[in-house]
Amino acid sequence: MVAEQHAIETFSLTKVFPDWWGRAKVVAVDDLNLKIRYNEIYGFLGPNGSGKTTTLKMLLNLLHPTRGYALVLGGSTADPAVSRRIGYLPEESYLYPYLSARETLDFYGRLFNLPARVRESRIEALLEMVGLMGMANRHVGTFSKGMARRIGLAQALINDPELLILDEPTSGMDPIGTRQIKDLLLHLARRGKTILLCSHLLADVEDVCDRIGILYGGRMQVEGAVDSLLQQSDRCQILSGPLSPQTLDRIRQIIAEEQTDCDISTPMERLEQYFIQIVTRAQAEARPTSGAVNTMKIGGFLAEEAAPPEPGVLDTLVGKSIEPAAGGDVELESVQAEPAPPAATEEPEDRGLLDDLTRRAATLPTTESEPPSPQEPGEEEMTERPTARPEDQPVETVRQDILEALTGGAGSQAADGTTEMARPDEPEEDERA
Amino acid sequence: MHRVWAVARNTISQGIRMRVAAVVIVLLLVLLPLMGLTAVGDRTLLGRLQTFVSYGLSLTSLLLCLLTVFVAVYTVTHDIKRHHIFLVVCKPIRRYEIVLGKLLGVVALNAMLLAAFGAIIYGLAWVMFYTANAPPPQARQARQEFFTARVRLDTKIDMDRLQTQILQEYNRLKFEGRIPEGMTRQRALGILRSEALNIAKSVPPGYAKEWTFQNVRVSDPNTPLFVRYKLRALPSPVDDQVFSQWRVGDFRTRDAAGRLTGAAVPRYVARRDPLRTFVELSVPSSAVADDGYVAVAYFNDPSRNACTVIPEEVQLLYRSGTFTGNFLRALLMIFSRLVFLAAVGVCVSTWLSFPVAILICMAAFVTGTINGFIVESLDLLEGPLSLLYTFTIKPLLWLLPKFDGDYNPTRFIVEGRAIGWGFLGQVYLTTGLIKAGLLVLLGVLIFHQRELAKTAV
Repeated sequence: MVAEQHAIETFSLTKVFPDWWGRAKVVAVDDLNLKIRYNEIYGFLGPNGSGKTTTLKMLLNLLHPTRGYALVLGGSTADPAVSRRIGYLPEESYLYPYLSARETLDFYGRLFNLPARVRESRIEALLEMVGLMGMANRHVGTFSKGMARRIGLAQALINDPELLILDEPTSGMDPIGTRQIKDLLLHLARRGKTILLCSHLLADVEDVCDRIGILYGGRMQVEGAVDSLLQQSDRCQILSGPLSPQTLDRIRQIIAEEQTDCDISTPMERLEQYFIQIVTRAQAEARPTSGAVNTMKIGGFLAEEAAPPEPGVLDTLVGKSIEPAAGGDVELESVQAEPAPPAATEEPEDRGLLDDLTRRAATLPTTESEPPSPQEPGEEEMTERPTARPEDQPVETVRQDILEALTGGAGSQAADGTTEMARPDEPEEDERA
Repeated sequence: MHRVWAVARNTISQGIRMRVAAVVIVLLLVLLPLMGLTAVGDRTLLGRLQTFVSYGLSLTSLLLCLLTVFVAVYTVTHDIKRHHIFLVVCKPIRRYEIVLGKLLGVVALNAMLLAAFGAIIYGLAWVMFYTANAPPPQARQARQEFFTARVRLDTKIDMDRLQTQILQEYNRLKFEGRIPEGMTRQRALGILRSEALNIAKSVPPGYAKEWTFQNVRVSDPNTPLFVRYKLRALPSPVDDQVFSQWRVGDFRTRDAAGRLTGAAVPRYVARRDPLRTFVELSVPSSAVADDGYVAVAYFNDPSRNACTVIPEEVQLLYRSGTFTGNFLRALLMIFSRLVFLAAVGVCVSTWLSFPVAILICMAAFVTGTINGFIVESLDLLEGPLSLLYTFTIKPLLWLLPKFDGDYNPTRFIVEGRAIGWGFLGQVYLTTGLIKAGLLVLLGVLIFHQRELAKTAV
């Protein structure tokens, strides 16, 4: 069936908002033909009022298209058989303020007809994952926007969806939470999920998305793989450890011979990285907080839940009976970059929630067949996803070689640090990681 | 069903957190005991109990009706306005399940509150009875006329015969040319009908009037019969009282000497009665003949009264059940109103905003409360207006429930009158099932088609 080749497919989807008299007033979406493949993270971008959210609402049957139609997971989201496979986080969390965090998840779990045991175990796992276990019985109405987003995300995951539709998932969230969500999305995609991500935070989109589409005036302006769209083939960036002035002069000289310009400066640490470092240190010192706790160790609780004697718990969490992934490093990559705080120390078998949540048999047509190798997470990332995140890549050796080739062996003088090279379009923080 | 119940539970949580719910609960918790303490009535124990339960049940019914409307409208319109509904409709739940869940939540919340406040009223009534230290006759009267459930048999005037007489009279007057010029036939018949009714009801001095009742089946021979009536007098005496002489028994057969030969023991009661007030007299049930026949006769003694007495709404009552069962049925009658109002609220909220929906619900509630009056008034319309009314307003009025007249459970409880299960079933069938069902169906259809995220531009 043709429609099944794409998780989301729209055909000349058009939405015109009429005024009170029924006259066509605003064309919010105009002849949109969106094709999102299975197991793809698709970034849906565009300025305010470009029609992103309207498109999502049409996909979710909250609005009826004026013309055209949309297929989501091969059908309509009005069909419960389809909507039970979807997780949706709207642009605002729209949660019932009088329910506690736990009651909120319980309510949405009940709408999926989840059995009580499954529901309870998932609620515990999700609360732990989003760092709100300590506030599980607090009313959502008293939460900050970021905390509400966390619960919103948790409710979108309660059914272990095949397709996740996220509208501004990181808005209002602190940098650690943002980082956590990005990592979560990568893990979900690695496990075969399809993700449609709407965001104005372009750095986030760039970090996680395989393909992006930019909408303007309700029409798709450009669409394609992130790498191919952003790569500047006529530019080159070199990042190294400390170099002597002589070496720098030689580099300038070599580059001058290539008849191109050159700018050499000392790189700055990214604020996001600096922030994470400070907060991680405060958490390690167990400073009290009334807000969300980014333990960054979200696998700990689930590891206990998913212990081998209780295989059913894992199964219930992911909704499928499958082999648990072998032990491996499932801590978030961002933590690996930091001096490990005491709280972040885990046993090797301490499985991450992300793995448990995202683990699925890779049966979909476009899903890579092999689960990640726990011993070599970086390699797995590279082989499974051509658009791999640079932090997973063992970059040092390769880049040392390139530098040596460039400098005629001077790179080896930098014995106290790594010498790296990267494209300008690659995030600097990832290189440091 | 799980999903419907999940939405209903959420609606209950939403409802009990509304300030209007808190106000209603606090008001009733304060006012009901206060009314129990301050109720006076006619200073008898029966009067106090009747006053308390009458006001208590009416207030509870009124406040819960208002609360139902507010909760039903708020829970739907607020979810749509604040977009909470987005996260619900994108889950695997059908839209009709959401509407049913909302309705079920409102109804369940009301059932809980009605049960709680009904129990408070019931308990307070018994507390009043046991702590009143009333004289034994008053306590007996309260037991016999309030803490009971009695069947009521009404008397009716044979309207068909009366109508024939009226027509004959009209034709005679017309033949004699005594109908005033310009007076329509309808108007003349109306005047004649009014006069005929007065004559049919009136008992001039020296005359007597008899009403007969069939199929009187008193289950417990130790319980008395009650004759309930209201008197008018023309001209009205200065002290607003008339002398009444009543006979109750089987007067069908007499022997040659004029003595009654029936097995039933006739009873004679003579008393002074206030005018324009319902009063009851009790007679032993042995006055009823074996075949369930009993006659009630009123004699206007010319030596005591100089006026024409008009006995109105003469009724016969006898015990048929317990107060507890009857009180429960009264609560169920009130509950049927709440079900209907919840259906109206949920229905209109699926497509209207909060203020408009509230307005329509309140209009439905008020119209239901005076439905009988409106229907009676509009039935008097004549000519083309009558046709217009028959095909426009009358069907609408039918769709609305009746909360007044015989559909007001408070009157039953105050009179110690039994609410029949059959009658209750009929109320639930028409109000709770057909009318509310049609409204819910309409709401489901609208909600199913509605674009929940639609914005005005």
